[in-house]
Amino acid sequence: MIALLDITALDAADLRGAAPMLAVTCGILLALAAEIVPALRPARGLAFLGSLVAAIFLEVQLIAAPAGEIFSGAFGATASASLFGLLCATSAIIAWAYSLRYYKLEAPYKGEHDALILCATLGMLIMCGALDLLTFFVGLELLSVPLYALAAFRRARRDSVEAGLRYFLLGAFAAGLFLFGAALLYASSGTLSLAGLRAASLDAPLALMGGALVISSLFFKVSVFPFHLWVPDVYQGSPTPVTTFMATGTKAAGFAFLFQVAFLMPAGAAALTGALAVATMAVGNLAALVQTDLKRLFAFSAVAHAGTLLLGVAALAAGDPVASGPLDAALYYMGAYIFTAGGAFGLVALMESEDERFLKLDALRGLGRRRPGLAAALSLFMLSLGGFPLTGGFLGKYFIFASALRADLLLFSVLGILLSVVALGYYLRVVMTLWMLPAEEGAPLLESKLLSGRLVTWLCTVMVLALGLAPGWFLERFF
Amino acid sequence: MEQLVFYSLGLGAVIGALGVVTAKNPILSVLSLLWTFFCLACVYLLIGFEFLAVAQILVYAGAIMVLFLFVIMLLNLGTSEAADFDTARAMGRRLPLVLLVGCTLAALSILAAQQVGGTSDEARADLRSVGSLTDLAQVMFGTYLLAFEAASILLLAGTVAVVMLAKRERRKNAA
Repeated sequence: MIALLDITALDAADLRGAAPMLAVTCGILLALAAEIVPALRPARGLAFLGSLVAAIFLEVQLIAAPAGEIFSGAFGATASASLFGLLCATSAIIAWAYSLRYYKLEAPYKGEHDALILCATLGMLIMCGALDLLTFFVGLELLSVPLYALAAFRRARRDSVEAGLRYFLLGAFAAGLFLFGAALLYASSGTLSLAGLRAASLDAPLALMGGALVISSLFFKVSVFPFHLWVPDVYQGSPTPVTTFMATGTKAAGFAFLFQVAFLMPAGAAALTGALAVATMAVGNLAALVQTDLKRLFAFSAVAHAGTLLLGVAALAAGDPVASGPLDAALYYMGAYIFTAGGAFGLVALMESEDERFLKLDALRGLGRRRPGLAAALSLFMLSLGGFPLTGGFLGKYFIFASALRADLLLFSVLGILLSVVALGYYLRVVMTLWMLPAEEGAPLLESKLLSGRLVTWLCTVMVLALGLAPGWFLERFF
Repeated sequence: MEQLVFYSLGLGAVIGALGVVTAKNPILSVLSLLWTFFCLACVYLLIGFEFLAVAQILVYAGAIMVLFLFVIMLLNLGTSEAADFDTARAMGRRLPLVLLVGCTLAALSILAAQQVGGTSDEARADLRSVGSLTDLAQVMFGTYLLAFEAASILLLAGTVAVVMLAKRERRKNAA
C-alpha cells in the first residue's frame, strides 16, 4: 500500500523554508505547556519571545538565501515572503511587549492570550508565503480565529465583547466570500494553485466572478473602502495590544497575498483599484480629522494607510515598468508602518494601562512637559505616519507614489498626495496637543516605567529614524 | 453474493431509518440512527470507498452521535414531550408530505443509478478511485501537507479560544 503512494518525502529545502513556522509552532506548544505545568509558568515569556526571535532570525537567513517553492509548490519561501513574515513576527513582539501590564482583570488568562497571538502569527507566516488558495485559506483562518477571541478578551467589558462578535460575524462572512470565490475559480480552471491559475485563461464570467469574490474578501481583511466599516469599532473595542497586532500584522499578511493574487484582476481593474485606493484614503483621513478618541483616530488612520498600500497593488495591476517596483515599495512602506503604527498604538496601550482617560486626545495636553521622552517618541510616530521627510513613513509613501506614477496612475497619485497633506492635519493636532497646550487641572498622571515597553519604544524610534535616514542599508540587505 | 450483501445492508439501513422516526424513546431513536449509519458505511466499503466508510463511522457514528446523546442526556428529554407527535391525526396530516419527499428521493436515486450504470467501466473505475484512501492520502500528505498540518494548529487555537472565553467564570469561582 505504502509503495503505491507517490508522496515526495520532505527534503532539506522544505524544512529550511518551514523553519520559521516550526519555531513559532514550538512557541505555541511551550506557551500552552507553561499554562498546564505551574513550574514552567515563569518561562512563558521566554518561550514566546524566544520562538519569535528564532523565527525572525530564520527569516533573515531565508531572505539571504531563499528556499524557493516548497511543500510541492504549496508554499513559496521567497525573499519577499520571508520579509513579510519577518515583519509579522516583529509586530507580534511589539504587541506583546506593550501587553505585559495592560491586563488587570484578565491577567490570569495571559497564557492563553500569548498562545493565541502566536497562533495568529503562524497564520500570518503561512499567508505570506501561500502559493495556493487552500493553503492561504487555512492560514487566514489560523489568523482570524485567534483574533476573534482576542478581540473579545476583556470579557467583562461590553465594547470588547461587541468588537469580538462584530469581527467574528463579518470575518465569517468574508471567509464565505473567499471560499465561494475559490470554488468558482476551481470550477472554471480546475486548479487552486496560483501558478495553475496564472496559466489558465480567466476570461470566463465564472472565473471573473471568482476572482472578484476572492479579492473582495481580502479587501475586507485589510480594511479597504467599502469594506472598512468594521475597523473603528473593532479597533476601539479590542484590547489595545491586540489592536496593535491587528493593525500591523494582519495588514502585512493580507497585502502580502493581495500582491500575489493581483493577477486575478482583469485588465481594466487597475483604474478601479486606484479609485478604491483613493476612496479609502479619503474616507480614513477625513473621518480621522474629527475624532477625539485616540484609538478611533488611529483606526481611521490605519484605514487611510491601507488605501496607500492599495495604490501599490493598483500600480502592479497597471503594469509598473519596474516589475518588482510595487512590491518592494509596499514592503518598505509596511516595514516603516509596522514600527510606526506599532509604536503609536503601543504607547496608547502603555498610557491606557495606567489610566483609561488617556484614550481621549485632550488627556495628552501638556504631556510633553511631564514625560518628554514618551511625548517625543509619540510625536515622531505621528510625523512618520503623516509622511514627514527624514522618517521611514516618508520614504515608504515616496516609493509607493513613485511606483504609481511610473504605472501612469497620475490622477490617483496626485489625489493621494493631496490626501496625505490632509492627514497631516490630525497627526499634527496630536503633536500640538502634546507640546503646546497646557495641562488641565486634575489631568491623569503617567508614571509607567514598564521596561519592555520602553525597550520596544526605543526599538521603534530607532527603526523609524533608520528607515528614514539610511534607506540604503536596508535596500542593500533586504531587497 | 455481492448483491445479497448489498440488499441485506440496504434493508438493515431502511429498518434502522424507520426505527429513528417511530421509536418513542429518544435513546432508542438515536441508536437506530447509529445502526443506519453503520449499514451505510458497510455499503460504502462494498463499493470500494474505504475512506468514506471510515469517515462515516468516525465522524457520524463517533462524533456527531455522541453529541446527540449528550444533548439528549443534558436536556433530559422524556417520552411525554413527544406525546402529540404520535397521534394518528398528526401522522395522517404529515403523510402527503412524507410521500412526496420519499417519492422525489426515490426517483432521484433511480436516476442517479441509471446514470452511473450507463457510463463505461473506465468511468466507473475513475469514480471509484476518487474516494480511495490512496488518492486522499496523496492530496492530504503530499500537495496540501502544509495546510493539513496548519489545520491541526487551527483546531488547537479554536479550542484554546473557546475555553478561554467560555470557561472564565467557573475558573474564577474555583480559585
